[in-house]
Amino acid sequence: MNNAEKKKILIVEDDAHIAEGMKLNLSLQGYTVFIAPDGPSGLQQWKELNPDLIVLDIMLPHIDGISVLRSIRLEDERIPILIVSAKGETDDKIKGLSFGVDDYLAKPFHLDEFLLRVERLLTKVSWYRNDDLNNARLDTVAETYSFGENRINFTTHTAQCKCGVVILTEQEVKLLKLFIANRGKPLSRQKLLEIGWGYSRNTTTRTVDNFIVRFRRYFEDNPHEPVYFKSIRSIGYLFSHD
Amino acid sequence: MIDRTKWFFHPIFIFIFSIVALATSLVLYIYWYVEVSTGLETMVRKFNLDTSQIFTPQTWVVIMILSILVGIILAGIFIIFVYNQKLVQLYRMQHNFINNFTHELKTPVTSLHLYLETFQKHELPRDDQLKYIRFMIQDVNRLADNTGRILNLARVESRNYEGKFVTSDLVTIVEQFCNDNDHLFRNCAITIHNPSDRSFPYRINPLLFEMLIMNLLTNAIKYNESDIPAVDITFLPQRRSLYINFEDNGIGIDKSEIKKVFRKFYQVGLSDNMTAKGSGIGLYLVQNIAKIHKGTVNARSKGVGQGSIFTVVLPFKPEKKQ
Repeated sequence: MNNAEKKKILIVEDDAHIAEGMKLNLSLQGYTVFIAPDGPSGLQQWKELNPDLIVLDIMLPHIDGISVLRSIRLEDERIPILIVSAKGETDDKIKGLSFGVDDYLAKPFHLDEFLLRVERLLTKVSWYRNDDLNNARLDTVAETYSFGENRINFTTHTAQCKCGVVILTEQEVKLLKLFIANRGKPLSRQKLLEIGWGYSRNTTTRTVDNFIVRFRRYFEDNPHEPVYFKSIRSIGYLFSHD
Repeated sequence: MIDRTKWFFHPIFIFIFSIVALATSLVLYIYWYVEVSTGLETMVRKFNLDTSQIFTPQTWVVIMILSILVGIILAGIFIIFVYNQKLVQLYRMQHNFINNFTHELKTPVTSLHLYLETFQKHELPRDDQLKYIRFMIQDVNRLADNTGRILNLARVESRNYEGKFVTSDLVTIVEQFCNDNDHLFRNCAITIHNPSDRSFPYRINPLLFEMLIMNLLTNAIKYNESDIPAVDITFLPQRRSLYINFEDNGIGIDKSEIKKVFRKFYQVGLSDNMTAKGSGIGLYLVQNIAKIHKGTVNARSKGVGQGSIFTVVLPFKPEKKQ
Protein backbone atom coordinates (compact mmCIF):
# COMPACT_ATOMS: atom_id res chain seq x y z
CA MET A 1 0.00 0.00 0.00
CA ASN A 2 1.69 3.25 -1.01
CA ASN A 3 1.18 6.58 0.65
CA ALA A 4 -1.00 8.01 -2.06
CA GLU A 5 -3.78 5.54 -1.33
CA LYS A 6 -3.34 5.32 2.43
CA LYS A 7 -6.84 4.77 3.75
CA LYS A 8 -8.20 7.08 6.45
CA ILE A 9 -10.04 5.54 9.38
CA LEU A 10 -11.94 7.49 12.01
CA ILE A 11 -12.38 5.86 15.43
CA VAL A 12 -15.23 7.25 17.51
CA GLU A 13 -14.60 5.77 20.94
CA ASP A 14 -14.72 7.41 24.35
CA ASP A 15 -12.37 5.05 26.12
CA ALA A 16 -8.89 6.45 25.50
CA HIS A 17 -7.15 3.13 26.03
CA ILE A 18 -9.27 1.18 23.55
CA ALA A 19 -9.10 3.99 21.00
CA GLU A 20 -5.33 4.17 21.35
CA GLY A 21 -5.00 0.40 21.05
CA MET A 22 -7.13 0.31 17.89
CA LYS A 23 -5.16 3.20 16.46
CA LEU A 24 -1.86 1.45 17.17
CA ASN A 25 -2.93 -1.72 15.40
CA LEU A 26 -4.58 -0.02 12.44
CA SER A 27 -1.52 2.21 12.00
CA LEU A 28 0.69 -0.87 12.00
CA GLN A 29 -1.52 -2.15 9.15
CA GLY A 30 -0.72 1.00 7.22
CA TYR A 31 -3.86 3.07 7.75
CA THR A 32 -4.03 6.69 8.80
CA VAL A 33 -6.10 6.81 11.97
CA PHE A 34 -7.96 9.62 13.74
CA ILE A 35 -9.70 9.45 17.11
CA ALA A 36 -12.87 11.27 18.20
CA PRO A 37 -13.72 10.88 21.89
CA ASP A 38 -17.46 11.71 21.69
CA GLY A 39 -20.45 11.94 19.36
CA PRO A 40 -20.32 15.61 18.33
CA SER A 41 -16.57 15.57 17.62
CA GLY A 42 -17.06 12.30 15.73
CA LEU A 43 -19.57 13.98 13.42
CA GLN A 44 -17.36 17.03 13.06
CA GLN A 45 -14.27 14.97 12.17
CA TRP A 46 -16.27 12.85 9.75
CA LYS A 47 -17.14 16.03 7.84
CA GLU A 48 -13.65 17.50 7.99
CA LEU A 49 -11.59 14.39 7.25
CA ASN A 50 -13.86 12.50 4.88
CA PRO A 51 -12.56 9.13 6.14
CA ASP A 52 -12.81 5.85 4.23
CA LEU A 53 -14.20 3.94 7.21
CA ILE A 54 -15.64 4.71 10.62
CA VAL A 55 -15.24 2.54 13.70
CA LEU A 56 -18.06 3.51 16.03
CA ASP A 57 -18.81 2.82 19.68
CA ILE A 58 -22.45 2.97 20.81
CA MET A 59 -22.20 4.29 24.35
CA LEU A 60 -20.71 7.72 23.78
CA PRO A 61 -20.92 11.01 25.67
CA HIS A 62 -23.32 13.73 24.42
CA ILE A 63 -24.65 11.88 21.34
CA ASP A 64 -24.86 8.10 21.33
CA GLY A 65 -23.41 6.03 18.52
CA ILE A 66 -26.78 5.11 17.02
CA SER A 67 -27.66 8.79 16.58
CA VAL A 68 -24.23 9.42 15.05
CA LEU A 69 -24.87 6.54 12.66
CA ARG A 70 -28.32 7.85 11.70
CA SER A 71 -26.94 11.32 11.20
CA ILE A 72 -24.18 10.10 8.89
CA ARG A 73 -26.58 7.88 6.95
CA LEU A 74 -28.78 10.87 6.15
CA GLU A 75 -25.95 12.30 4.09
CA ASP A 76 -23.84 9.31 3.16
CA GLU A 77 -25.35 5.92 2.48
CA ARG A 78 -22.11 4.32 1.44
CA ILE A 79 -19.32 5.02 3.89
CA PRO A 80 -18.59 1.74 5.68
CA ILE A 81 -19.30 1.90 9.39
CA LEU A 82 -18.24 -0.79 11.82
CA ILE A 83 -19.82 -0.73 15.26
CA VAL A 84 -17.66 -2.03 18.09
CA SER A 85 -19.77 -2.02 21.23
CA ALA A 86 -20.11 -3.61 24.64
CA LYS A 87 -23.77 -4.06 23.78
CA GLY A 88 -23.57 -7.44 22.13
CA GLU A 89 -27.15 -8.72 22.40
CA THR A 90 -28.96 -9.70 19.22
CA ASP A 91 -31.45 -6.86 19.80
CA ASP A 92 -28.63 -4.31 19.87
CA LYS A 93 -27.12 -5.74 16.70
CA ILE A 94 -30.47 -5.67 14.92
CA LYS A 95 -30.98 -2.07 15.98
CA GLY A 96 -27.59 -1.11 14.58
CA LEU A 97 -28.09 -3.02 11.36
CA SER A 98 -31.56 -1.57 10.84
CA PHE A 99 -30.05 1.92 10.87
CA GLY A 100 -27.57 0.93 8.23
CA VAL A 101 -24.37 -0.20 9.91
CA ASP A 102 -22.20 -2.46 7.75
CA ASP A 103 -20.79 -4.70 10.42
CA TYR A 104 -21.14 -5.20 14.16
CA LEU A 105 -18.50 -6.44 16.57
CA ALA A 106 -19.14 -7.03 20.28
CA LYS A 107 -16.62 -6.07 22.93
CA PRO A 108 -14.37 -7.68 23.99
CA PHE A 109 -13.28 -8.57 20.48
CA HIS A 110 -10.39 -10.48 18.93
CA LEU A 111 -7.78 -8.28 17.37
CA ASP A 112 -7.44 -10.32 14.19
CA GLU A 113 -11.17 -10.47 13.68
CA PHE A 114 -11.36 -6.70 14.05
CA LEU A 115 -8.51 -6.09 11.60
CA LEU A 116 -9.88 -8.52 9.03
CA ARG A 117 -13.35 -7.02 9.17
CA VAL A 118 -11.92 -3.54 8.69
CA GLU A 119 -9.85 -4.73 5.75
CA ARG A 120 -12.82 -6.48 4.15
CA LEU A 121 -15.07 -3.44 4.48
CA LEU A 122 -12.43 -1.25 2.87
CA THR A 123 -11.90 -3.72 0.05
CA LYS A 124 -15.61 -3.74 -0.73
CA VAL A 125 -15.70 0.04 -0.89
CA SER A 126 -12.83 0.12 -3.33
CA TRP A 127 -14.97 -1.98 -5.70
CA TYR A 128 -17.80 0.53 -5.52
CA ARG A 129 -15.34 3.34 -6.14
CA ASN A 130 -14.17 1.70 -9.34
CA ASP A 131 -17.75 1.22 -10.44
CA ASP A 132 -18.45 4.87 -9.87
CA LEU A 133 -15.86 5.80 -12.43
CA ASN A 134 -17.69 3.78 -15.05
CA ASN A 135 -21.26 4.83 -14.44
CA ALA A 136 -21.16 8.17 -12.73
CA ARG A 137 -23.74 9.02 -10.07
CA LEU A 138 -25.92 6.02 -9.70
CA ASP A 139 -25.86 6.31 -5.97
CA THR A 140 -28.78 8.47 -4.90
CA VAL A 141 -31.48 5.92 -4.33
CA ALA A 142 -34.50 8.19 -4.21
CA GLU A 143 -33.95 11.48 -5.96
CA THR A 144 -37.47 12.71 -5.52
CA TYR A 145 -40.15 12.19 -2.95
CA SER A 146 -43.80 13.16 -3.14
CA PHE A 147 -46.50 13.49 -0.58
CA GLY A 148 -49.84 15.15 -1.17
CA GLU A 149 -49.30 17.84 -3.78
CA ASN A 150 -45.70 18.33 -2.76
CA ARG A 151 -42.69 17.01 -4.62
CA ILE A 152 -39.20 17.24 -3.21
CA ASN A 153 -36.16 16.91 -5.42
CA PHE A 154 -33.08 15.97 -3.42
CA THR A 155 -30.61 16.43 -6.26
CA THR A 156 -31.58 19.98 -7.05
CA HIS A 157 -32.54 20.83 -3.45
CA THR A 158 -35.92 22.14 -4.54
CA ALA A 159 -39.48 21.47 -3.55
CA GLN A 160 -42.57 21.86 -5.69
CA CYS A 161 -45.45 22.82 -3.43
CA LYS A 162 -48.68 24.78 -3.37
CA CYS A 163 -46.83 28.10 -3.19
CA GLY A 164 -44.60 27.24 -6.15
CA VAL A 165 -40.98 26.13 -6.22
CA VAL A 166 -39.02 26.53 -2.99
CA ILE A 167 -35.25 26.26 -2.79
CA LEU A 168 -34.32 24.19 0.24
CA THR A 169 -31.30 24.76 2.43
CA GLU A 170 -28.84 21.98 3.26
CA GLN A 171 -30.27 21.71 6.77
CA GLU A 172 -33.85 21.56 5.51
CA VAL A 173 -32.98 18.74 3.11
CA LYS A 174 -31.29 16.81 5.90
CA LEU A 175 -34.23 17.22 8.22
CA LEU A 176 -36.71 16.24 5.49
CA LYS A 177 -34.71 13.08 4.81
CA LEU A 178 -34.82 12.29 8.50
CA PHE A 179 -38.58 12.76 8.61
CA ILE A 180 -39.10 10.69 5.47
CA ALA A 181 -36.89 7.88 6.79
CA ASN A 182 -39.02 7.86 9.94
CA ARG A 183 -42.42 8.29 8.28
CA GLY A 184 -45.17 7.35 10.71
CA LYS A 185 -42.82 7.24 13.69
CA PRO A 186 -42.70 10.10 16.20
CA LEU A 187 -39.36 11.86 16.61
CA SER A 188 -38.47 13.73 19.78
CA ARG A 189 -37.02 17.22 19.59
CA GLN A 190 -33.89 15.91 21.29
CA LYS A 191 -33.39 13.17 18.66
CA LEU A 192 -34.07 15.63 15.84
CA LEU A 193 -31.38 17.89 17.26
CA GLU A 194 -28.90 15.09 17.76
CA ILE A 195 -29.34 13.49 14.36
CA GLY A 196 -30.27 16.51 12.29
CA TRP A 197 -27.80 18.98 13.71
CA GLY A 198 -25.23 16.81 15.44
CA TYR A 199 -26.35 18.51 18.68
CA SER A 200 -24.42 21.51 19.76
CA ARG A 201 -25.11 22.65 23.26
CA ASN A 202 -25.87 26.13 21.96
CA THR A 203 -28.70 24.94 19.76
CA THR A 204 -31.94 24.88 21.69
CA THR A 205 -34.91 22.68 20.90
CA ARG A 206 -36.60 25.91 19.79
CA THR A 207 -34.52 25.65 16.60
CA VAL A 208 -36.37 22.46 15.71
CA ASP A 209 -39.70 24.21 16.17
CA ASN A 210 -38.65 27.00 13.82
CA PHE A 211 -37.86 24.50 11.07
CA ILE A 212 -41.20 22.79 11.58
CA VAL A 213 -42.95 26.16 11.21
CA ARG A 214 -41.13 26.60 7.89
CA PHE A 215 -42.00 23.10 6.67
CA ARG A 216 -45.63 23.66 7.49
CA ARG A 217 -45.61 26.93 5.59
CA TYR A 218 -44.11 25.17 2.55
CA PHE A 219 -46.05 21.92 2.52
CA GLU A 220 -49.29 22.22 4.48
CA ASP A 221 -52.53 23.48 2.98
CA ASN A 222 -53.30 25.10 6.29
CA PRO A 223 -50.16 25.61 8.42
CA HIS A 224 -52.31 25.95 11.53
CA GLU A 225 -53.93 22.58 11.03
CA PRO A 226 -51.03 20.45 9.86
CA VAL A 227 -51.69 17.15 8.13
CA TYR A 228 -48.14 16.02 7.34
CA PHE A 229 -46.00 17.53 10.11
CA LYS A 230 -48.02 16.91 13.25
CA SER A 231 -47.00 17.90 16.76
CA ILE A 232 -47.28 15.26 19.43
CA ARG A 233 -47.59 16.73 22.87
CA SER A 234 -44.61 16.26 25.16
CA ILE A 235 -42.94 14.01 22.58
CA GLY A 236 -42.07 15.91 19.44
CA TYR A 237 -43.11 15.66 15.80
CA LEU A 238 -44.57 13.06 13.50
CA PHE A 239 -44.38 13.04 9.71
CA SER A 240 -46.98 10.94 7.96
CA HIS A 241 -49.09 10.83 4.82
CA ASP A 242 -51.17 8.31 2.89
CA MET B 1 -41.03 -7.01 29.04
CA ILE B 2 -44.01 -4.94 30.09
CA ASP B 3 -44.04 -2.62 27.15
CA ARG B 4 -44.70 -5.39 24.68
CA THR B 5 -47.77 -6.80 26.44
CA LYS B 6 -51.17 -5.46 25.49
CA TRP B 7 -52.80 -2.71 27.53
CA PHE B 8 -55.37 -5.06 29.12
CA PHE B 9 -52.54 -7.04 30.68
CA HIS B 10 -51.22 -3.93 32.33
CA PRO B 11 -51.16 -4.47 36.12
CA ILE B 12 -52.92 -1.18 36.88
CA PHE B 13 -55.73 -2.06 34.49
CA ILE B 14 -56.10 -5.53 36.01
CA PHE B 15 -56.10 -3.99 39.48
CA ILE B 16 -58.80 -1.44 38.67
CA PHE B 17 -60.82 -4.00 36.74
CA SER B 18 -60.83 -6.49 39.61
CA ILE B 19 -61.82 -3.79 42.11
CA VAL B 20 -64.70 -2.72 39.87
CA ALA B 21 -65.75 -6.37 39.43
CA LEU B 22 -65.61 -6.95 43.17
CA ALA B 23 -67.62 -3.82 43.98
CA THR B 24 -70.23 -4.73 41.35
CA SER B 25 -70.51 -8.25 42.71
CA LEU B 26 -71.00 -6.88 46.24
CA VAL B 27 -73.78 -4.58 45.06
CA LEU B 28 -75.38 -7.42 43.12
CA TYR B 29 -75.16 -9.83 46.06
CA ILE B 30 -76.92 -7.34 48.30
CA TYR B 31 -79.47 -6.39 45.66
CA TRP B 32 -80.38 -9.98 44.91
CA TYR B 33 -80.44 -10.88 48.57
CA VAL B 34 -82.80 -8.01 49.34
CA GLU B 35 -84.95 -8.85 46.35
CA VAL B 36 -85.19 -12.53 47.22
CA SER B 37 -85.93 -11.85 50.87
CA THR B 38 -88.68 -9.32 50.06
CA GLY B 39 -90.16 -11.81 47.65
CA LEU B 40 -90.00 -14.42 50.35
CA GLU B 41 -91.55 -12.01 52.81
CA THR B 42 -94.58 -11.30 50.59
CA MET B 43 -94.97 -15.02 50.03
CA VAL B 44 -94.81 -15.67 53.77
CA ARG B 45 -97.40 -12.95 54.38
CA LYS B 46 -99.61 -14.29 51.57
CA PHE B 47 -99.66 -17.81 52.92
CA ASN B 48 -99.65 -16.63 56.51
CA LEU B 49 -96.72 -18.79 57.52
CA ASP B 50 -94.86 -18.51 60.80
CA THR B 51 -92.39 -15.64 60.17
CA SER B 52 -90.01 -16.57 62.98
CA GLN B 53 -89.32 -19.94 61.33
CA ILE B 54 -88.13 -18.51 58.03
CA PHE B 55 -86.62 -15.12 58.93
CA THR B 56 -84.02 -16.18 61.41
CA PRO B 57 -80.99 -14.40 59.87
CA GLN B 58 -81.12 -10.61 59.83
CA THR B 59 -80.58 -8.76 56.53
CA TRP B 60 -77.98 -6.43 58.05
CA VAL B 61 -75.89 -9.28 59.37
CA VAL B 62 -75.78 -10.83 55.92
CA ILE B 63 -74.79 -7.53 54.31
CA MET B 64 -72.11 -6.96 56.93
CA ILE B 65 -70.58 -10.40 56.52
CA LEU B 66 -70.59 -10.02 52.75
CA SER B 67 -68.92 -6.62 53.01
CA ILE B 68 -66.26 -7.92 55.36
CA LEU B 69 -65.47 -10.82 53.03
CA VAL B 70 -65.30 -8.54 50.02
CA GLY B 71 -63.10 -6.20 52.06
CA ILE B 72 -60.69 -9.03 52.81
CA ILE B 73 -60.53 -10.01 49.12
CA LEU B 74 -59.91 -6.36 48.25
CA ALA B 75 -57.06 -6.16 50.72
CA GLY B 76 -55.63 -9.34 49.22
CA ILE B 77 -55.78 -7.93 45.71
CA PHE B 78 -54.17 -4.72 46.89
CA ILE B 79 -51.29 -6.56 48.53
CA ILE B 80 -50.71 -8.66 45.42
CA PHE B 81 -50.78 -5.49 43.35
CA VAL B 82 -48.22 -3.77 45.59
CA TYR B 83 -45.93 -6.81 45.50
CA ASN B 84 -46.26 -6.96 41.76
CA GLN B 85 -45.25 -3.31 41.44
CA LYS B 86 -42.27 -3.95 43.73
CA LEU B 87 -41.28 -6.87 41.54
CA VAL B 88 -41.46 -4.76 38.40
CA GLN B 89 -39.35 -2.12 40.11
CA LEU B 90 -36.75 -4.71 41.12
CA TYR B 91 -36.71 -6.06 37.60
CA ARG B 92 -36.06 -2.56 36.29
CA MET B 93 -33.30 -2.06 38.84
CA GLN B 94 -31.63 -5.27 37.82
CA HIS B 95 -31.99 -4.33 34.17
CA ASN B 96 -30.43 -0.90 34.82
CA PHE B 97 -27.63 -2.46 36.77
CA ILE B 98 -26.78 -5.03 34.11
CA ASN B 99 -27.03 -2.41 31.40
CA ASN B 100 -24.68 -0.03 33.15
CA PHE B 101 -22.34 -2.50 34.67
CA THR B 102 -21.83 -4.51 31.49
CA HIS B 103 -20.23 -1.44 30.04
CA GLU B 104 -18.14 -0.71 33.12
CA LEU B 105 -16.75 -4.24 33.19
CA LYS B 106 -16.40 -4.86 29.49
CA THR B 107 -14.49 -1.68 28.72
CA PRO B 108 -11.35 -2.49 30.77
CA VAL B 109 -11.52 -6.15 29.70
CA THR B 110 -11.67 -5.09 26.05
CA SER B 111 -8.72 -2.79 26.50
CA LEU B 112 -6.64 -5.46 28.26
CA HIS B 113 -7.53 -8.01 25.63
CA LEU B 114 -6.60 -5.64 22.85
CA TYR B 115 -3.17 -4.80 24.27
CA LEU B 116 -2.30 -8.37 25.18
CA GLU B 117 -3.12 -9.51 21.66
CA THR B 118 -1.12 -6.62 20.24
CA PHE B 119 1.88 -7.68 22.32
CA GLN B 120 1.45 -11.22 21.10
CA LYS B 121 1.34 -10.09 17.51
CA HIS B 122 3.95 -7.35 17.33
CA GLU B 123 7.39 -6.70 18.75
CA LEU B 124 7.06 -3.13 20.00
CA PRO B 125 9.90 -0.83 21.09
CA ARG B 126 10.51 -0.84 24.83
CA ASP B 127 9.15 2.71 25.36
CA ASP B 128 5.88 1.84 23.68
CA GLN B 129 5.69 -1.38 25.64
CA LEU B 130 6.03 0.51 28.89
CA LYS B 131 3.35 3.01 27.86
CA TYR B 132 0.88 0.25 27.05
CA ILE B 133 1.77 -1.74 30.13
CA ARG B 134 0.85 1.34 32.17
CA PHE B 135 -2.50 1.40 30.34
CA MET B 136 -3.01 -2.24 31.23
CA ILE B 137 -2.20 -1.64 34.88
CA GLN B 138 -4.75 1.18 34.92
CA ASP B 139 -7.31 -1.14 33.33
CA VAL B 140 -6.67 -3.82 35.92
CA ASN B 141 -7.15 -1.17 38.60
CA ARG B 142 -10.41 -0.12 36.99
CA LEU B 143 -11.62 -3.71 37.07
CA ALA B 144 -10.52 -4.05 40.68
CA ASP B 145 -12.35 -0.82 41.57
CA ASN B 146 -15.51 -2.01 39.89
CA THR B 147 -15.55 -5.37 41.55
CA GLY B 148 -14.60 -3.68 44.82
CA ARG B 149 -17.60 -1.37 44.52
CA ILE B 150 -19.97 -4.30 44.20
CA LEU B 151 -18.39 -6.05 47.16
CA ASN B 152 -18.48 -2.85 49.22
CA LEU B 153 -22.12 -2.42 48.40
CA ALA B 154 -22.86 -5.91 49.68
CA ARG B 155 -20.82 -5.26 52.84
CA VAL B 156 -22.37 -1.89 53.58
CA GLU B 157 -25.86 -3.27 53.00
CA SER B 158 -25.32 -6.17 55.35
CA ARG B 159 -23.57 -3.87 57.86
CA ASN B 160 -20.63 -6.23 57.78
CA TYR B 161 -17.67 -3.92 57.13
CA GLU B 162 -14.09 -4.14 58.11
CA GLY B 163 -12.30 -1.65 60.28
CA LYS B 164 -13.19 0.01 63.52
CA PHE B 165 -14.63 3.35 64.37
CA VAL B 166 -12.03 5.85 65.47
CA THR B 167 -12.36 9.48 66.45
CA SER B 168 -10.52 11.73 64.04
CA ASP B 169 -10.69 15.26 62.73
CA LEU B 170 -12.87 15.41 59.63
CA VAL B 171 -11.01 18.34 58.06
CA THR B 172 -7.70 16.50 58.35
CA ILE B 173 -9.24 13.34 56.93
CA VAL B 174 -10.59 15.17 53.88
CA GLU B 175 -7.33 17.08 53.35
CA GLN B 176 -5.32 13.92 53.63
CA PHE B 177 -7.64 12.10 51.26
CA CYS B 178 -7.27 14.81 48.61
CA ASN B 179 -3.48 14.74 48.94
CA ASP B 180 -3.27 10.98 48.76
CA ASN B 181 -5.46 10.80 45.69
CA ASP B 182 -4.35 13.90 43.80
CA HIS B 183 -3.43 11.70 40.82
CA LEU B 184 -7.15 11.04 40.34
CA PHE B 185 -8.03 14.72 40.36
CA ARG B 186 -5.48 16.10 37.93
CA ASN B 187 -6.67 19.20 36.11
CA CYS B 188 -9.36 19.69 38.74
CA ALA B 189 -9.64 22.42 41.35
CA ILE B 190 -10.53 20.97 44.72
CA THR B 191 -10.53 23.47 47.56
CA ILE B 192 -11.29 22.88 51.20
CA HIS B 193 -12.85 25.72 53.18
CA ASN B 194 -13.11 25.74 56.93
CA PRO B 195 -14.46 29.21 57.83
CA SER B 196 -14.76 28.45 61.53
CA ASP B 197 -11.13 27.35 61.52
CA ARG B 198 -11.55 24.67 64.13
CA SER B 199 -11.31 20.92 64.18
CA PHE B 200 -14.28 18.56 64.00
CA PRO B 201 -13.46 15.38 65.84
CA TYR B 202 -15.98 12.71 64.91
CA ARG B 203 -16.20 8.96 65.28
CA ILE B 204 -15.77 7.52 61.82
CA ASN B 205 -14.92 4.32 60.08
CA PRO B 206 -11.98 5.59 57.99
CA LEU B 207 -12.45 3.09 55.15
CA LEU B 208 -16.12 3.86 54.72
CA PHE B 209 -15.71 7.59 55.15
CA GLU B 210 -13.03 7.67 52.46
CA MET B 211 -15.38 5.77 50.19
CA LEU B 212 -17.99 8.47 50.79
CA ILE B 213 -15.58 11.30 49.93
CA MET B 214 -14.29 9.39 46.93
CA ASN B 215 -17.77 8.85 45.51
CA LEU B 216 -18.86 12.46 45.98
CA LEU B 217 -15.67 13.84 44.44
CA THR B 218 -15.55 11.47 41.47
CA ASN B 219 -19.21 12.18 40.74
CA ALA B 220 -18.56 15.92 40.84
CA ILE B 221 -15.79 15.48 38.28
CA LYS B 222 -17.30 12.74 36.16
CA TYR B 223 -20.57 14.56 35.55
CA ASN B 224 -18.84 17.78 34.68
CA GLU B 225 -18.42 19.54 31.37
CA SER B 226 -16.51 22.60 32.61
CA ASP B 227 -12.99 23.18 31.32
CA ILE B 228 -11.62 22.91 34.82
CA PRO B 229 -13.91 20.84 37.04
CA ALA B 230 -14.01 22.46 40.47
CA VAL B 231 -15.24 21.17 43.81
CA ASP B 232 -15.49 23.33 46.92
CA ILE B 233 -15.67 21.44 50.17
CA THR B 234 -16.97 23.59 53.01
CA PHE B 235 -17.28 22.69 56.70
CA LEU B 236 -20.16 24.56 58.33
CA PRO B 237 -21.02 23.92 61.96
CA GLN B 238 -24.60 24.94 62.76
CA ARG B 239 -26.33 24.41 66.08
CA ARG B 240 -26.25 20.67 66.69
CA SER B 241 -25.09 19.60 63.25
CA LEU B 242 -22.08 19.81 61.03
CA TYR B 243 -22.78 20.49 57.36
CA ILE B 244 -20.15 19.40 54.87
CA ASN B 245 -20.95 20.87 51.45
CA PHE B 246 -19.51 19.48 48.25
CA GLU B 247 -20.27 22.16 45.69
CA ASP B 248 -19.32 21.53 42.06
CA ASN B 249 -19.57 23.29 38.72
CA GLY B 250 -20.84 20.17 36.98
CA ILE B 251 -23.84 19.38 34.83
CA GLY B 252 -26.30 19.79 37.70
CA ILE B 253 -29.40 17.74 38.38
CA ASP B 254 -32.92 18.26 37.15
CA LYS B 255 -35.43 19.06 39.92
CA SER B 256 -37.38 15.87 39.25
CA GLU B 257 -34.26 13.73 39.64
CA ILE B 258 -32.93 15.15 42.91
CA LYS B 259 -34.49 12.58 45.20
CA LYS B 260 -34.07 9.68 42.82
CA VAL B 261 -30.29 9.96 42.45
CA PHE B 262 -29.82 8.24 45.80
CA ARG B 263 -31.76 5.18 44.74
CA LYS B 264 -29.90 1.95 44.23
CA PHE B 265 -28.79 1.41 40.62
CA TYR B 266 -30.48 4.66 39.60
CA GLN B 267 -29.00 6.56 36.68
CA VAL B 268 -30.12 9.98 35.52
CA GLY B 269 -31.66 9.63 32.10
CA LEU B 270 -33.56 6.82 30.47
CA SER B 271 -32.25 3.35 31.01
CA ASP B 272 -32.03 2.80 27.27
CA ASN B 273 -30.26 6.09 26.76
CA MET B 274 -26.95 4.87 25.58
CA THR B 275 -25.03 7.87 26.85
CA ALA B 276 -25.68 6.91 30.47
CA LYS B 277 -22.56 5.88 32.28
CA GLY B 278 -21.80 4.54 35.71
CA SER B 279 -23.18 1.81 37.84
CA GLY B 280 -25.82 3.66 39.85
CA ILE B 281 -24.16 2.51 43.04
CA GLY B 282 -22.11 5.53 44.15
CA LEU B 283 -24.73 7.79 45.72
CA TYR B 284 -26.62 4.86 47.18
CA LEU B 285 -23.39 3.89 48.93
CA VAL B 286 -22.85 7.49 50.06
CA GLN B 287 -26.30 7.59 51.59
CA ASN B 288 -25.78 4.30 53.40
CA ILE B 289 -22.36 5.31 54.70
CA ALA B 290 -23.81 8.59 55.97
CA LYS B 291 -26.50 6.58 57.75
CA ILE B 292 -23.89 4.32 59.35
CA HIS B 293 -22.27 7.50 60.69
CA LYS B 294 -25.65 8.62 62.07
CA GLY B 295 -25.87 11.33 59.44
CA THR B 296 -27.79 12.09 56.27
CA VAL B 297 -26.92 13.30 52.82
CA ASN B 298 -28.94 15.48 50.49
CA ALA B 299 -28.56 17.09 47.11
CA ARG B 300 -29.45 20.51 45.75
CA SER B 301 -29.12 21.98 42.31
CA LYS B 302 -30.33 25.10 40.57
CA GLY B 303 -31.02 22.94 37.55
CA VAL B 304 -29.34 21.26 34.63
CA GLY B 305 -26.03 22.89 33.75
CA GLN B 306 -25.80 24.91 36.94
CA GLY B 307 -23.77 22.65 39.20
CA SER B 308 -24.93 20.80 42.26
CA ILE B 309 -24.32 20.78 45.99
CA PHE B 310 -24.19 17.57 47.96
CA THR B 311 -24.40 18.08 51.72
CA VAL B 312 -23.41 15.54 54.33
CA VAL B 313 -25.11 16.39 57.61
CA LEU B 314 -23.62 14.86 60.74
CA PRO B 315 -24.85 15.34 64.29
CA PHE B 316 -22.21 17.41 66.06
CA LYS B 317 -22.27 18.88 69.52
CA PRO B 318 -20.32 22.11 69.93
CA GLU B 319 -19.82 21.39 73.67
CA LYS B 320 -17.12 18.94 72.78
CA LYS B 321 -14.91 21.91 71.84
CA GLN B 322 -11.32 21.40 72.69
